[in-house]
Amino acid sequence: MISARGLVHAYGERRAVDGVDLQVDAGERLAIAGPNGAGKSTLLRMLATLLRPRAGHLTVLGADVADDPRRARAGLGYLAHDPLVYLDLTARQNLELYGDLYGIPDRDGRIDDLLDHVDLLARAEDPVRAFSRGMAQRLALARMLLHRPRLLLLDEPHASLDARATALLDSELGAARDDGRAAVIVTHEVERVADVADRLVVLRAGRVVLDEPTAGMDARAVRRRYEEAAA
Amino acid sequence: MSRRRQLAALVRKDLRLELRTRETIVAMVLFAIVMMAILQFGFGTRDDDLTRFVGGLMWVTLAFTAVLGVGRSYVAEREQRVLDGLLVSPVPRVVMLGAKAIAIFLYMTAVEVIVIPLVGVFFVQGPYWDAIGWIAIAALLANACIALSGTLFSGLALFTRARDLILPVLFLPALVPVVIAAAGATHAVAGGPHDMSEWRGYCLFLLAYAILFSLVSVATYDAVFDD
Repeated sequence: MISARGLVHAYGERRAVDGVDLQVDAGERLAIAGPNGAGKSTLLRMLATLLRPRAGHLTVLGADVADDPRRARAGLGYLAHDPLVYLDLTARQNLELYGDLYGIPDRDGRIDDLLDHVDLLARAEDPVRAFSRGMAQRLALARMLLHRPRLLLLDEPHASLDARATALLDSELGAARDDGRAAVIVTHEVERVADVADRLVVLRAGRVVLDEPTAGMDARAVRRRYEEAAA
Repeated sequence: MSRRRQLAALVRKDLRLELRTRETIVAMVLFAIVMMAILQFGFGTRDDDLTRFVGGLMWVTLAFTAVLGVGRSYVAEREQRVLDGLLVSPVPRVVMLGAKAIAIFLYMTAVEVIVIPLVGVFFVQGPYWDAIGWIAIAALLANACIALSGTLFSGLALFTRARDLILPVLFLPALVPVVIAAAGATHAVAGGPHDMSEWRGYCLFLLAYAILFSLVSVATYDAVFDD
């Protein structure tokens, strides 16, 4: 699903990501953690094709992102800090827009199913501006899942979700593992990693300092390994 | 994935946002009317026939109005932080360019539906209304130039910190040939006998400018958003 070799990205002279190697296979859920400024979000934006690597080689969903980023984008689902929806459009109009951008067949049926899934069907015709933060994030979840992406990229997904959306996201991550999709989750909430990811990668100063499976670890063990690596 | 479907979705989105908020077109129309009033007072009273200046007066007004409209073309994406959602979707950047250009073209056309007749009221004492069809054709060509160049420059300015300053600095010089040609075409037919050969020459220039900028935009727009 993802193959990265020697990825580099710099802001001016400062290297935010400095020679990262990463392999993510189908059905795998990878958590990326690290202190502030470690390069987590920059790395995720490169995986999402939103930032071009300054050096290194990146393949996402079989597409070399330097040559054919659109092929990679077609199979990506990206959940960011912001819901990435227009506040002055209704929930349905936002999903119609993304449905057309991704060329989804049976767009309207899929939108109804997803709005029902995220408990927003009754508010489908309301502008997003009238939504609470939690509702907007649930709509963002529907937006991310609309085109049935094979690779989920999530940036601090639990930071702004309400309890309902958190349960939906966690169940979606479980389903992703079961049906062979992959997920990369950038997180500060290391205690959650054991529940939502199969592997933990810790970044420090743009470099990978830990990359190991979380199988058999509980939240405390994950926290301990993280703190040892990030120190 | 159908590019036509993507293009239609993006244009529909911009029009829905404009219909809901009514921010851009209303501001553009008010700006153009105020500017024409200022020019009218600046030149003197209605007793002075401004027919020979009508092309320049109209297109200076419309050029500054276009800067206002083009400057707002990515406001929703920027302020509501939606741009990443579009960029991470498999939409070719040139389709995004085309959609924004169509939206700007439609905004300019909507403004001109009001401004072009008003120009006759403000500035022209000779025959004007029989020339309005020819002026409208020149205006549509000029709108294509404004939309294509404006979309490119607003995309370039989008990723800069001083975007509100940079856009007019980049865009207004690019509009100079458009203003010259559109003003020339308007002058050729307004307020007296129509000089169709002069009008045709200016319109061909506008057409060539639009084709040139569409080629430049297609060649560079990927780099604008991906680098």
